[in-house]
Amino acid sequence: MSNLFSGINARLRGTSNKPGVSKSPLTTPTDDGHQLHLPGNLSQASQSSTSLSSKLPPLPASPSFSQSIGILGAGDEAAGSYQLPKPIPLWLNPAYAKHIVKGNFMTLSARPKTVEQGEWVAHQVVEHYRNLWNFVRVVYDKEENGRTLCNSTSCPRMSAGPNHSYTWLNNRLEPIELPAFEYITLMQRWISGKIDDTKIFPSEASGVSYAHNSQITTVSLLNGPDEWVGKRSGFPKEFFSICQTIFLQMFRVYAHLYWAHFVEPFYHLNLEKQLNSCFSHFVLTATALDLLKPQELEPMQPLIDLWAANGTFPPGSKAYECANVKAGNILLQLAGMA
Amino acid sequence: MSSTTFDFSPLPEQRSEVYGPNANYNQKRCQQLAQEFFRDGVRRARERNERQKEVGKRLEDPKLQPRREQIWAHSGKLEAKYLRFLRTKEGLSNYENVKTIGKGYFGEVRLVRKRQDGKVYALKRLVKTEMISKEQLPRVRAERDALAESDSEWVVKLFTTFQDTTSLYMLMEFLPGGDLMAMLITYEIFSEDITRFYAAEIINAIEAIHKLGFIHRDIKPDNILLDRGGHIKLADFGLSKGFRKNHDSKFYQDLLQQQQQPPSLSYRPQNRNSVNIDEISLTVSNRAQINDWRRSRRVLAYSAVGTPDYIAPELLTYRGYSFEADWWSLGTIIYECLIGWPPFAAEHPHDTYRKIVNWQHSFFFPDDIQLRPNAANLIKSMVCNSDNRLGRNGAAEIKAHPFFEGVDFNGLRRIRAPFVPPLTSDVDTSFFPVEQLPQTDNLLPAADNGGAATDAATSSSTDDALTPEMFLPFLGYTFKRFEKSFV
Repeated sequence: MSNLFSGINARLRGTSNKPGVSKSPLTTPTDDGHQLHLPGNLSQASQSSTSLSSKLPPLPASPSFSQSIGILGAGDEAAGSYQLPKPIPLWLNPAYAKHIVKGNFMTLSARPKTVEQGEWVAHQVVEHYRNLWNFVRVVYDKEENGRTLCNSTSCPRMSAGPNHSYTWLNNRLEPIELPAFEYITLMQRWISGKIDDTKIFPSEASGVSYAHNSQITTVSLLNGPDEWVGKRSGFPKEFFSICQTIFLQMFRVYAHLYWAHFVEPFYHLNLEKQLNSCFSHFVLTATALDLLKPQELEPMQPLIDLWAANGTFPPGSKAYECANVKAGNILLQLAGMA
Repeated sequence: MSSTTFDFSPLPEQRSEVYGPNANYNQKRCQQLAQEFFRDGVRRARERNERQKEVGKRLEDPKLQPRREQIWAHSGKLEAKYLRFLRTKEGLSNYENVKTIGKGYFGEVRLVRKRQDGKVYALKRLVKTEMISKEQLPRVRAERDALAESDSEWVVKLFTTFQDTTSLYMLMEFLPGGDLMAMLITYEIFSEDITRFYAAEIINAIEAIHKLGFIHRDIKPDNILLDRGGHIKLADFGLSKGFRKNHDSKFYQDLLQQQQQPPSLSYRPQNRNSVNIDEISLTVSNRAQINDWRRSRRVLAYSAVGTPDYIAPELLTYRGYSFEADWWSLGTIIYECLIGWPPFAAEHPHDTYRKIVNWQHSFFFPDDIQLRPNAANLIKSMVCNSDNRLGRNGAAEIKAHPFFEGVDFNGLRRIRAPFVPPLTSDVDTSFFPVEQLPQTDNLLPAADNGGAATDAATSSSTDDALTPEMFLPFLGYTFKRFEKSFV
């Protein structure tokens, strides 16, 4: 049952705030196989509210189990029922899911109580974007021969494993498949267009505000259509949903880096721990601030489960709640590390 | 169990050599930036938590109950301003050039006005190629570290650092009072009381940086700046040495070798040749000449080597040194304040070097100037061997010297300074020798033509256009301070 839904989830993902505007990164993943199955607790269909893509007819799914391997016996609880490619990718090997930092990442993304939510979200968006771009550059910068590590031959589609590939909407709002390199170019242009727009991300120091606290502050905080995240700090009404879309786009790039480039080049260049630390911090932030919905994490779910099991995500964090610790423990056991 | 480990991808042999130079450059860059992201992030989070804890305490304070909302709002806004500061890209175009207030071998210091809020700062610019070719990288790093880590009222404040293809920039507080050197040029000599005041403040300042683990190594009147109220702050940490870090270069050794050649001055005043100072002609009667010498030394300060007059002998002989090196410098400055010239003054730096190294023979008080015994004793107890130099056991033993009897070292900043600069505006530079400096050059190019409206760019990283040679050595240079009074 849950397996069926996971495919639909993938197709439902993608949000846009201005459905009429062309070049928005409104995307519809296409599925050509179901080897990766969601743990049961995440099986509800996503409610992507304003998504135009949800109106698109679902593409036919063609599950192919031939290349997949079941970790658990079919009779076991649905909870841990991964179907992962064989062999299991290196980045799911607990020995390579380690970090450059110790301790609790949560301190980095926890909003200081007095800081207004919009201000904090804006800060996190920019920090994570800078971090991500740092890794993208490694596969994206041209060598002297003009080649990039991520190119249309190595990555003809913007994919995250065999089950997920993402499309971009063209001017007629038709989803088109693009090589990952081009997708990332468009994504970068779109995100920096938002972040650099001071109407969306105001930068004037004079415009700042502070968090509401019913015990202390008397400024009335409306709860209705006239109130939104960041309003009092000068962020526009659509600010939060733009940030959610930015995070979704960044997530897709991370997912592509893991599925397509973890070994070539990050492992070879000794950068896998750095990538792990930045991505786990990204997931912690995204979940804590509601910038990504649990079901949107699906392409990276096994790693999230593993990180919940190995202590990267502390119990009590939202990222931990999104994880299937049992499934993560199975990965640890497989590696003989449990 | 072991059989199932075969389920994981086999471990490929690690090969970084198959990747091109750009990938390997990006590898280093990525590795360091990621490391710095977490290092800075953890530091900021820790500091932020401290501040929030402090706010929490104040909110609990019954005496502050009526001001609770104000305290809360103030904290939220302050943090938000800092977040906006972190989020926006720093660049030259955010600043409007006012005038050049100092020039050195590796760059210059300019008075600038921030376009966004109209506030005035001192912007130090260092030319990257010069820094690399003259092996000054440890110096830059040392200064950035010392200033970034200190939060002392005795140290000039560094607000932010940024860089572009050609230069490194340090945005610092502008201290409108000029420096102690300019004061000495104006007054030639200080009374014992005034000397006591400045000496006491300098002791506090040196003590503050020593507590941070830094040895300044280059304390001299040019580096002692006067703020609006006439109180001192230490600047120019280019030679400072962190005890915990290694900022070492063979700086002094190279310096000594360079001295075989005539000092290369980037800028020579016309009267340079008319100055002829040696130990024989240095008497009270020719103080005016001393000032000529001081002005020429001001020019020397703009050269690569700087003036060696106040450097402790153990630094020059390279036999190892520690915190007490800075107390030697203080001794020579007190000498200069009371006598009128520094004890090892000579026309050429290499003569000064020689005199310092042979200080046992070259150090003396001029016959025609009478110092009080306490003053002379203080100087002699600091201008001496490092083994028995006053201050080697901490600043307290200097403070306890009879010369400072009656000085309230904790209340210095609250008393009125002997000289309070009468300023006419926030960009008043009357106390800087700006007339000696060429004001027309193209060092702040695009910044002045008003094209700054779109420069709040935040996303694309500042250094995207940098080549590896211009970027890698300067990684980790960028810094942004949380500042209670910022903006």
